[in-house]
Amino acid sequence: MRTFVAKPAEAQATRKWWVVDAKDKPLGRLASEVAKVLRGKHKPTFTPHVDTGDFVVVVNAGLVKVTGDKATDKKYYRHSGYPGGIRSQSFAELVAQKPAAPIQIAVKGMLPKNALGRKMIKKLKVYASAEHPHTAQSPEQLSF
Amino acid sequence: MPRVKRGPHTRRRHKRVLKQTKGFWGGRKNRFRQALRVLWKSWQYAYVGRKLRKRDFRRLWIVRINAACRENGTSYSRLMGSLHKAGIELDRKVLADMAVNDPTAFKALTELASAAG
Repeated sequence: MRTFVAKPAEAQATRKWWVVDAKDKPLGRLASEVAKVLRGKHKPTFTPHVDTGDFVVVVNAGLVKVTGDKATDKKYYRHSGYPGGIRSQSFAELVAQKPAAPIQIAVKGMLPKNALGRKMIKKLKVYASAEHPHTAQSPEQLSF
Repeated sequence: MPRVKRGPHTRRRHKRVLKQTKGFWGGRKNRFRQALRVLWKSWQYAYVGRKLRKRDFRRLWIVRINAACRENGTSYSRLMGSLHKAGIELDRKVLADMAVNDPTAFKALTELASAAG
């Protein structure tokens, strides 16, 4: 008996859409569940070298919560490449500027750091408000 | 007694090694000294790989069984515990295959298991 190996084409044809409301959910816990679905670890057909995951739409991304003092104390860093070019923003500042960014960054950090992981992150759609343009895909509610 | 020179023997030895290093990177595929060294190393990797294969597959089966369990409202750990209690000796390879190819049978197993446990 050979262990089942998912074929990329078949896995792609059976991808589903999920929608999740980020309102008042802790950032990391939300991201971990979303990352699982993007990777396909919720399916019995999971294959490590094939993208077997589904699409995930996150709405109300601006209302995601962090516990404790992390709204002011959690910093996001980036570097321009020039000396002294480090820039930092707190969680609250980042949410105000780009409401979708914290979730994007958190989920990306939980996916594999390779070509497959970069493909998986493209299936994540994050929206600041409660509306999303993917109603045609009739996404199901993701519960955890 | 015919005279023996070393050329044919050496060529045969080199050919035998280089045949096995096809597809290796850079000079390793066609320079004998490099090829011989990395060929021996490749046997070591292959030896380790044969041991790791068994662990890697077991890990994959567990991930798949867990996914199927959670679709049926239980978890890998609970399923395994109750299967042992019920005396069902299906291994992880078979369970993972059932989870993919025969979901109804797998569902029956989870129900049976949860009834026993």
